[in-house]
Amino acid sequence: MTGEAGTGDEPSEFSVPVLDHEDPRPAPLGLRARISLSFAVGGLLVSVVLAGATLVLTRRQLIDSRENAAAAVAVSNATRLSNQLTHDATIEDLPAIADSLTKIEGIQRLIRLGDSWLPTPELDSEDLPPLLLDQLAQRKAGQQRSSLSGQTHLVVGIPLTAFDADYFAVVDLADVEDTLGNLQIVLFGASIFATLIAAVFGAWVSQRTLRPLRRVRSAAEAIAGGRLDTRLEPQSDPDLDRLADSFNEMAEALEERILRDARFASDVSHELRSPLTTLKASVGVLEARREELSDRSQTALTLLSDDLERFTRLVVDLLEISGYDAGAASLDLSEVQVLQFLSATTRGIGPIPLHMPPHSENLMIRADKRRLARLISNLLDNADRYGGGATAIVVENEGPNLRIAIEDSGPGIPEAERAAIFERFSRGSAGGRRGGDSGTGLGLSLVIEDARLHRGRVWVEERPDGLPGARFVVELPADTEDEL
Amino acid sequence: MSKNILIVEDDERIRTAVRLVLEEEGYAVVETESGEAALEVFAPSPSDVVLIDIMLPGIDGFEVCRRIRRLSEVPIIMVTARDDSHDIVAGLEAGADDYLSKPFDPKVLSARIRALLRRSRPSETAHPHLIIDQLELLADEGTVRVAGHQVHLTHTEFRLLVELASNPNKVFSREDLLEAVWDYGYLGDGRLVDVHIRRLRTKIELDPANPRYVITVRGMGYKLQT
Repeated sequence: MTGEAGTGDEPSEFSVPVLDHEDPRPAPLGLRARISLSFAVGGLLVSVVLAGATLVLTRRQLIDSRENAAAAVAVSNATRLSNQLTHDATIEDLPAIADSLTKIEGIQRLIRLGDSWLPTPELDSEDLPPLLLDQLAQRKAGQQRSSLSGQTHLVVGIPLTAFDADYFAVVDLADVEDTLGNLQIVLFGASIFATLIAAVFGAWVSQRTLRPLRRVRSAAEAIAGGRLDTRLEPQSDPDLDRLADSFNEMAEALEERILRDARFASDVSHELRSPLTTLKASVGVLEARREELSDRSQTALTLLSDDLERFTRLVVDLLEISGYDAGAASLDLSEVQVLQFLSATTRGIGPIPLHMPPHSENLMIRADKRRLARLISNLLDNADRYGGGATAIVVENEGPNLRIAIEDSGPGIPEAERAAIFERFSRGSAGGRRGGDSGTGLGLSLVIEDARLHRGRVWVEERPDGLPGARFVVELPADTEDEL
Repeated sequence: MSKNILIVEDDERIRTAVRLVLEEEGYAVVETESGEAALEVFAPSPSDVVLIDIMLPGIDGFEVCRRIRRLSEVPIIMVTARDDSHDIVAGLEAGADDYLSKPFDPKVLSARIRALLRRSRPSETAHPHLIIDQLELLADEGTVRVAGHQVHLTHTEFRLLVELASNPNKVFSREDLLEAVWDYGYLGDGRLVDVHIRRLRTKIELDPANPRYVITVRGMGYKLQT
C-alpha cells in the first residue's frame, strides 16, 4: 500500500520541537519601537515648531532693525538734503549735495527733482516700485520691499515737501537673506539632531520602563526551561509589584502541581515496581525448574512469563513517559561513537546492514547513550513487529545534524497514518490484524520523547529506493548541549 | 563452600523471591528487613556480596552502604525503585559497586553477582609490580600504596586501577572499562565508571581535583599517566 502512495517523498514530520523560536508572521511594531517612535515624533514636532518660530522671529527682527536703520538714515538724509537744497537748484547741483550726505554700505539712493532723476550707477527710477511712486506723488513717505534683479531690496521713499523732490533709499537685504538661509540650515540640522536624540532617549526610556517586563520574561523562560523555583523579586512600583506577586503565585502553583505529579509518578512507580520484582523473581525460579512441571503447567508458565515480560515493559514505558510528562526527564550526555554504538545496539537481533557515511569510523555524537539505545531499539522493535524486520540502518550527515534511518520491507505506512502512529497506544490500521502483537503501544511515543529531549526529531517516510516498506528517520543535532 | 549473600530489603515478598532465586544458584542467603538489622548481622560475619534496597525504614540504603563500607570492601549492589539519576549516582557515591533497577530480571541479578565475585578474586596482570611516582601497585598481593602508606580500595576500585595499569598511558574508553571491570557490554552505564574513578581518585590522588595518576581524556575516557 505504500507503493501506491505515489511519489510523496516529503517526510511526514511529526515531532517539531523547541528548535526555533522565530515567528515568521510580520509582527506589529513592538512596544519599545512604538515608544521610541513616539519620542522621535514628539522631538520632531517640538523642534520643527521651535525652529519655525526662531526663523520667523529672527527674520522679523533682522529685517525690522535693518528697515528702522535705513528709515532713520533716509529721514536724516532727506532732512539734510532738504536743508541744502534751494528752490532754484537744478539736477546738476545734486551730486555735490548728495556727496555730503551720510553713506552707508548697502544703501543706494535716488533723488527726484522735478522731472529729473539723480540715478545711482546700478539703479534708476525704472527700478522703483510704482506703488511707492504713487504714494510719493501724494507727498506721503513710504517704504516697500521689492525684488530688484532677483534680490530682495527695501525701498524707502521720503518726499521733500518744501520742493518738488523725493529722496529714495534702496537697501540691499541680500545679506539678511544669506544670514536667514544659514540659520535655516542650522535649524534644520538641529531639528534632525533633536529628533534623533529624542528617538535614542525614547529607546532608553522604553528599555528602562520595560526592564521589569524583561525580568518577567526571563523568569517565565526559566520556569519553562525547568527551573521551577524561579521567582520575581518584589518591585518598587505598586503596579509592577502586583504583577510580580501574581506571577510568583502562578509559579508557585505550577511548581507545586508539577512536584505533586512527579511525586505521584514516583509513588506509583514504587508501588508497581515492587510487585513486579517479586513476580519476576518468582517466575525466574519456576523457569529454572521448568522441566519438573507437567506440560500443561509449562504452557501456563510460558503464558505467565510472556505476559509478565510484556506487562513489565508496559509499566517501565509508562513510568518513563510519565517522567517526561512531569518534566523530570534529564539528559545524561556523553560522547558516543556512532559505529560502535549501532553495532552494540543491533547485537542479538541478527545481522542488519549498516550503511555509514564515508570516513566515519570515528563519527561521534554527544547523546544520552541509554535513551538513544532505547530509541534505536524501539525503532528496530517496531520494524520487527510491523515491517518484517529492519532491512538496513542508514547513517547520514545532514548539515550539522546526524540522521539515522531504519528501513524495513513491510507494507509501509499510508501517508494519512504517519502522524497517528506516534501517538500513545496507537498501532496504525495494521495493528488490529496482529493477534499475537506483544508491543506496548508506547514505543514510538517514547521514540518521539527521546528524540525531543535530544532536541532532535523523528518522522516516517517512503523508502528512497521505491520498494515497499517504511523508513523511520531520527535526526539529532550534532551539538546537543545540556540544556534541560 | 558456597558464597554468602546478605539481602537488605523491607518488602518481605521481594526478599523471599530473591532468596529463592539466589538459592537456586547455590548461594547461601541471609535476609534482613532493615539497615540496622543488616549492620548487626554483617559486623560479626561479613558476607561475600550485599544487596541493599535504597528505600528502607529507619536508616536508608545509602547510609547502610556507607556504614558497611567503613567495615569492609565487600561488593555491594544497590537496588533502586526508580530510574532516577540522582539515586543511582548517590548510591554509587555511597560506595556501591553496581546497581539494579526494579523490576530486575533474576538472570541479570545472578550475572551481576557473578561478575562482582569474579572481580573480588585477585587478578593476573601484566604488571605485578608497578611504581609511578608515589603510587605503588602490587597487583598480585592486592595492595596499593601511596607515598609508602597502604590505601584500602574496594574490589571494584582495585580492578579498575589494575585494568588502567595493564597498559599505562593508554586511553581506556568508558565502554572498555565497563566491559573489563563490570562485565557490561557497550551499552552499560558510563556513570558506574565515572563515579568509581572519582572514588579511586579520592583514595590515591594527593589532590583529587587535579589528578596526577588517573587522568580524564575529554570525550575519550581515562588513562593512568606514568
